[in-house]
Formats: sequence, structure tokens, C-alpha cells
Amino acid sequence: MKIQTTVENLDNYKIYLQVEKAVHEFMEKHNYLKVDLPVLSPFLIPESYLEIFETEFNYFNKKEKLYLTPSPELFLKRLLVGGIGNCYYLGRAYRNCEPNSDWHSPEFTMLEFYKVGINYLEMAEEVLKMLQFVNKKCRGNDTMLFDRWEKYSVSEAFEKFSGIKKEKLFNEKLFFKKAKDKGYNVNKTTYEDIFSQILATEIEPKLGVNGYPTLLYDYPKQMASLAKLNDDGLTAQRCEFYINGLEVGGFCTELNDYKEQQKRFISEAKKRKKNKIINHSIDKGFIEALKYGLPNCTGAGIGFERLVMIFANTTSINQLKLINIV
Amino acid sequence: MRVNAGNLKKGEFVKFQGEICQVQKADFYSPGKGSALMKARLKSLISAKNVEYAYKSNEQVEVLDVASVDMQYIYKDQENLYFMDERTFNQVSLLISVVGDISRFFKEGEKMFVYMYDDKPLTIRPPMSVRLKIVEADDAAKGDTVSGAKKPVRVETGATVMVPIFVKVGETISINPETGEYTGRV
Repeated sequence: MKIQTTVENLDNYKIYLQVEKAVHEFMEKHNYLKVDLPVLSPFLIPESYLEIFETEFNYFNKKEKLYLTPSPELFLKRLLVGGIGNCYYLGRAYRNCEPNSDWHSPEFTMLEFYKVGINYLEMAEEVLKMLQFVNKKCRGNDTMLFDRWEKYSVSEAFEKFSGIKKEKLFNEKLFFKKAKDKGYNVNKTTYEDIFSQILATEIEPKLGVNGYPTLLYDYPKQMASLAKLNDDGLTAQRCEFYINGLEVGGFCTELNDYKEQQKRFISEAKKRKKNKIINHSIDKGFIEALKYGLPNCTGAGIGFERLVMIFANTTSINQLKLINIV
Repeated sequence: MRVNAGNLKKGEFVKFQGEICQVQKADFYSPGKGSALMKARLKSLISAKNVEYAYKSNEQVEVLDVASVDMQYIYKDQENLYFMDERTFNQVSLLISVVGDISRFFKEGEKMFVYMYDDKPLTIRPPMSVRLKIVEADDAAKGDTVSGAKKPVRVETGATVMVPIFVKVGETISINPETGEYTGRV
């Protein structure tokens, strides 16, 4: 890797600052508490596909593993249990094994916020309001209107853009067969992998390209992450939104059943072992906190650089920075 | 040579659904759930069409070992560009649509590298820069002294290039053929 100084990005960087300011202003206006958080943690929430950065704290003979946080979720949810109410974090997050590309950097900026008492679809309206606010405050995007979402459920999007009907999407066996017929390599793979591959190849390029941001909602339960499940037993209350074919952020109604949470933790930790990625210490205190009761809430995570790309009209996150490590 | 799709690079050749394609773009992409992907734009060297495909980054992909052969560009017709291997006098042709926009900067008699696979030509290796003479240009309007002001000129291959207003007819300029940008006077 090398250090790249790109002072020619100054104009874009100034837009980055404007968007940052507008987001802080929106959050303050809507009564979200700004929270500063550590980025080094002795424990993490296990997520099967995320590789992390591991380091070590040393003092005489005492050594302790520490990890750079891939998301502020483990801290913010503790605080929600503690009763701080609506809150947000705008700061660094770290993900290993994600090489620098137009849309990724191992070190990036995350906007994560939680609102108490609303579900994922109500959060969609909140996010739209924020996009409108930022658009007004900044130079603005010429081609995108933020007055409504273009909305598809995940099953509608699969049917419309890739010809996969609902019955096949939610049946792993039929889904694999359909993927194989389409030419995807389905050997030694998982439902989640094939789902992502079809989504990225056939669906995502069509999202957020008709002048409105696109909202995809109700993901198959295999992709539930920390979201509540819907009553249909097939889908989770999770959304992602897209602009110009790029996923900018997502949100879900947060799971607050600690037993279910514990089950998902164990399953994710097992997958981590199987995937041979860093076997970090699991945040048991997180489950303890949930036992005391996470209020009903929805959390949203937005890749901040990707958000700025929309307003700076750039095609790469690297065009926003004065210093890039590439 | 088999590689992880996560290591695919722009310019490499792969077989995709039975057709030889050249990687136009390959970007790492990690979805919220599921393993990482490599989003690639592949250009078919048969139909000249681009197709977008997301490989699983740990998927094995066969990258073709192609030879690049020094040839002379001799002429073109409506559809094809013709090249000759000066050692064997063997002639090959490539579709203009496959080679793409850069062919508007090719001058007859120039040397170029043609990628070959199984004795068949695939496409050309784009030169880093080309030198061409300006054959037509308007004089800059008087008083137009804004720094960075540009004007269009026509070069000897017939292509139009934007150049700084001080550049005149008869001068030779260098151009980056991939972007079509003027890079200097020579």
C-alpha cells in the first residue's frame, strides 16, 4: 500500500464537509444525541462474513487482544438499553479484507443512528427526510429527486429484474436450481452467496437509476442479521437503499429478543470458524444488556463516503479524500 | 492460469459463457451479508457487447495466457481494422467495434501490439500515447486569454481533440488514446 496525496480533490472534500455539517444539523434538529465512541474494543458482535483488524494491547507482561470496530452497533445498543434514546454516531469503522476500490476502503466513515418506537418502514421516511435535507443544504444532485422512494420488496425485485418468482426465491433447493440454469457456479456455496451474486449482477444496476432512490425491503430471513422477522416466517424487517446502482445504506427493526439474539450469535460464530476468519472474543455483555431490554427501535447504517459521492457527483470514494491509502 | 476472481484485473482475458472477453473494470464489492464479490465489466471480443457480472471473490476463474505480437496497422474499411505481422507478412483483422473508440487515433503504418490467442487475434494493446499532426484548427478568438480555455482541432486521422488555444495547425501533439485527451506538444 502507499500514501497518496490528492490535493486536487479539495473541491470534493469541501462537499464532504458540507454533507457532514448538514447531517449533524439534521440529527440535532430531530433530537438525536451525538455519541463519540471508541474504535478499539476487546469484544465484537460475531458476523460470519466480516473480517476484522486485530491488534494487541501490551503493558509489561499483560497482553490483551483488541479489535478495531467494524460498526458502532455494540456500543450504541448498550446505550439504548441504558435509556439514552435516539442517538447517532458519525465516525470511523474498519473492515479487513476489503481492498480499496471505487466503493470500499478498509477504513471508512459510518453514519449509524437509532430511533426509538419506530419500525423499518417508518425509518425509510426518516432517511428520505434526511436525504432531502442534505440535498437542500449542499450543492445538490442535479439528476436525483428525493421526494419519494421507488420501492420494491426483495421478492418483487427478483421477479421483475431477474425473472425469479417468489416460490423459487424462498425455497433454497429451487433457488439453487434456477441459479445454476442461469449459469452461476453453485458448487460449495451458500444461499446467501448466490443471493448476493444475483442481486449484484442482475438487480442492483437497475436500482436508483430512474431519478429516485430505490428502497429494497423484506429480505429473506437468511439475511436477517440483527433484524426482527416478519409474520410471514420468510422475511426479515430489513431494508437497503440504492442510488445510481450503489447500495448506500440499510436499516432494520432491531431484534430485542435476547434468546433469539444469542442463537444467532452462536450460529454466526460457528460460521466464522468454518470460514477460517479471526476467531475474536464474543461480546457476551451485549446479550447481558439485551436481557435488560432494548427498547423497540430501528437502526440505520449508512456508508458516509457513498452518501457524499451522490452530492459530489463522483464515481469513487477516493475522489473525496485529500489523503488515500491505496 | 487460474486465479481467484478477487484478483482479476482490468485488461485481462477470460472465458465467460463460452466467449472470450476482456475485463474492462473489476471492482471489489462486499454486500451486507454473504461473501465478498468482484463486480466485473466484461467485453465480449465476438459481439463487442459489455456484460456486467459479479463473481464470488473466491471463485476460480481461468485467465487466458495471451501473446502480444508486434504488428503494423495497415488500413481499415467500414467494419474492420487490418494489421500485418512484418516478419511473416501474415495479415489479421479486428472488428472496429471490438477495438473501440481508440481506433480513431490509429495512423496507417504505425506499429502496434495485437493480442493473440490460439492463433486468433483478440484485440489490440492500447498504446500509452499517440503522436498526431493537427490538420485543421480555428485560430483562437482575440482576447480569449482565460487560462485553461480549450478549442477543438482535427488531427491527421480525422479525429477531433480538445487542445489549449495556443496550439496551431501543423503542430504535432501527443494524445492519450484511451481518454482522447491532449497531453502535450511534441
